[in-house]
Amino acid sequence: MLMDKETTARPDERDVLGISRLGLAVGSGERATPLLAGVTVRVGRGETVGLVGESGSGKSLTARTALGMLPPGARATGRVTVSGVDVLAAGRRTLRDLRRTRVSMIFQDPRASINPVRRIGDYLTEGLRARGVPARAAAGQALDLLDRVGIRDPRAAVRRYPHQFSGGMLQRVVIAGALSTEPELLLADEPTTALDVTTQAEVVGLLRNLQRDHGTGMLFVTHDLDLAAAVCDRVYVMYAGRIVEEAPGASLFAAPAHPYTKALLEASPSVHGDKAAIKAIAGRPRSLAESPSGCSFRDRCPLAGDDCAERVPAHRPHGASATACLRPEQVMP
Amino acid sequence: MTMARSLAAWLGRRALAALVTLLVASILIYGSLRLVPGDPVLAVTGGRRLTPDQIAALRAGYGLDRGLVQGYLEWLGGVLRLDLGTSLTYQSGVTTLLTGRLGVSGLLVAYSAVLAIAFGLAVALVSAVKGGLVDRAASIVAALTTATPTFVAAIGLLALFAVGLGWFPATGAGTGLAGRLWHLTLPAVAMAIAAFGVLARVGNAAFAGELGREHVEVARSRGVSGGAIIRRHVVRNALAPLLTIAGLLVASLFVGTAVVETAFGVDGVGSLLVSSVSRRDFPVVQGIALVAVALFVLVNTLVDLALPFIDPRVTVGGLSR
Ligand SMILES: Nc1ncnc2c1ncn2[C@@H]1O[C@H](COP(=O)(O)OP(=O)(O)OP(=O)(O)O)[C@@H](O)[C@H]1O
Ligand SMILES: [Mg+2]
Repeated sequence: MLMDKETTARPDERDVLGISRLGLAVGSGERATPLLAGVTVRVGRGETVGLVGESGSGKSLTARTALGMLPPGARATGRVTVSGVDVLAAGRRTLRDLRRTRVSMIFQDPRASINPVRRIGDYLTEGLRARGVPARAAAGQALDLLDRVGIRDPRAAVRRYPHQFSGGMLQRVVIAGALSTEPELLLADEPTTALDVTTQAEVVGLLRNLQRDHGTGMLFVTHDLDLAAAVCDRVYVMYAGRIVEEAPGASLFAAPAHPYTKALLEASPSVHGDKAAIKAIAGRPRSLAESPSGCSFRDRCPLAGDDCAERVPAHRPHGASATACLRPEQVMP
Repeated sequence: MTMARSLAAWLGRRALAALVTLLVASILIYGSLRLVPGDPVLAVTGGRRLTPDQIAALRAGYGLDRGLVQGYLEWLGGVLRLDLGTSLTYQSGVTTLLTGRLGVSGLLVAYSAVLAIAFGLAVALVSAVKGGLVDRAASIVAALTTATPTFVAAIGLLALFAVGLGWFPATGAGTGLAGRLWHLTLPAVAMAIAAFGVLARVGNAAFAGELGREHVEVARSRGVSGGAIIRRHVVRNALAPLLTIAGLLVASLFVGTAVVETAFGVDGVGSLLVSSVSRRDFPVVQGIALVAVALFVLVNTLVDLALPFIDPRVTVGGLSR
C-alpha cells in the first residue's frame, strides 16, 4: 500500500479529474469481490478523454466514483480528485456541493434518467434550484438551455412530459440539464448507446460544441472504439477492471500497443469493409474477480507466454501509448 | 377545444359504466333476497297470530305478492326517488334509518382510513428508505397486523383500553364532535389495523421500487437533497398505485363497520345490517347493500378520475393531458 502511494505520480492540480490507482471491492474479508484495480485516469481542463472496453469492464464504476457514487457496501482505495477536491474522503455535504457545481453526469438511457411524471421544465430547474438559483431566474435559464441544445419552441417544451419526446430529444434535454450547472467536468456514460445512428452523430456533435464553448473537461465512456478515436484527445482502454492501454485518439487505430486494443479494433464492424473480416474476440469478457493471475487478458491473448502469468504488467511507454503488455512490439495493427 | 370535448366524453363514459354497475348490482341484490327460501313476513310476525287478510295486506305492502320483475321495477322506482321502502321491524322508512346512521358510520370509516393511511404509509416510507433492520421489523409488524381479524382486534382493544385501563368508552357513539371522536377511537383503530398492515406492505414495495429507479440515481448525481428526492421522485411517483389501493381499502372498511359497530355497540349502518339480517328485515338489508355498492362504485370512479392528473402517462379518452 505504501509502495503504491510513493510510486503514484502526483496528480496535476489543474486536472479536472485525477483518478490514481483506484481500487474498488464489494464485500469484506474472504468474500470480498474486487471490481477495479489500479485504475489511473486523468482529464485535463477542456480535454476530451475516452474510456472504452467491453461490457462489464468497469467503465461505469470508474466514471461514477468521480461523483462519489460507489456501489452499496463498496470500499475504495487510491485517490480520486475533482478540481482538487478529494472525492473519496469528502463528506456528504462536500459531495453534494461538488455534484451541484462542478461535475455532471449524462447516463446511457435518457428515458430512464428523467422522472416520467414531472415536466421537462421541472427537470431542468431542479438542478438550478439545488444550486440556489431563484425560481423565476431558473425558469428563464431553462428556456435558454433548451434553446442552446437545439430544442425548438422551448416555451412549450418545458411544459411537456418526457413521454412526449423522442429519445434523441430527451438526451438533448439531459445534456441541457447537465450543462445547467456549468460543470468543469462532464461524465458522459455511453450517452448515445440508446439512440439511432443519425441521432448519435447529432448528440456527439452537440456535446463537442458545448464542451468546446465552455472549456469543460469530458470523460466519454463508450464501447465504440471508432467513436472514441474520432471524438477523444486521449483514450483509455479498459479490461476486467484495469486500464490496459492509454493512447492519443489519433494513434489508436494506427498503432495499437495492447493485444486487447487490437482485438477490439478487429471486432469493430466499421473499420473493415466486408463482414468476413470481423473477428470476434475469442472467449468471453472477464470480470476482475474471475480473471487469471498476472495479465487479466492472457487467457484470451494470442501473444501470451508464461511470463504473462507472473505479475500484472506495469504500464510502460510504447510509441505514443502507455501499455500494460510485456510484448507490445508484437502487436501489429 | 378537442381536449375539453374528449375529457367530457371520457367523463360521460365513466359515469355510464358506474351506472351500469349499479344497475346490475341492484338486480342481484333484489333478486337474491327474493329468492331466499322462507317467507320474510312470517319470520317477522313470527308468533303473533294474524288473519289471512292481515298477512295478505302485509305482503302487498312489501311487494311480495307481485312477480319478481314487477316487484323489482317498483322497488327500483322507489330507489330512484330515494325511497328504499319500509323496515319490517322499525316501522319507519329505510332511507330515514340509513341517513341517521350514515353520519356515524361515515365518520368511523373516515377516521379509520386516515389512521390506516397515515400510519401505514409512514411506516412504509421509513422502512423503504432506512432498509436493513428497520425494514425487517416493519415487515413483521405488517404481516402480523394484516393477519389480525377485525373482531380479534376489537376484543383485544376493548379488553385493554376500555375494560382494563378505562381510557376509552366501551360502547356508544358519543355526542358532539369531540365526544364522537373519543367514542369512535377504539372502533376506528380496530378497523384500521388490518388496512394499516396492507398499506405498510404495499407502500413499502411501491416506495422501494421507486427508490431503485434510475431517475432517482440521476437526481442524486445532480446533488438534489435527500428530502427533495423523497418528495419529488419517490412519494410523488408512488402516488398513483397507492391511491388505487387506498380507494379499495376505504371501500372495504365500510364493510368492516358491521363487525366493529356490533362489538362496540355503535348505532351505525354496520350494526343495523347485522341486526336486520338476523331479523330478516329484507328492505333494510337491500337498502344497505345498495348503498354499499354505490359507495364502492363512487370511490373507484373518483380514483379513476384522479389518476390522469397524478400520472401524465395515463391518457384521458385517448389524449394525454
Ligand atoms: N454493486 C455491485 N456489486 C457487485 N458487482 C458490481 C456492482 N456494480 C457493478 N458490478 C460489476 O462490476 C463490473 C463492471 O461494471 P460496470 O457497470 O462498470 O461495467 P461497464 O464497463 O460500464 O459495462 P457496460 O458497458 O455494460 O455498461 C461488472 O462485472 C458488474 O457485474
Ligand atoms: Mg456501463
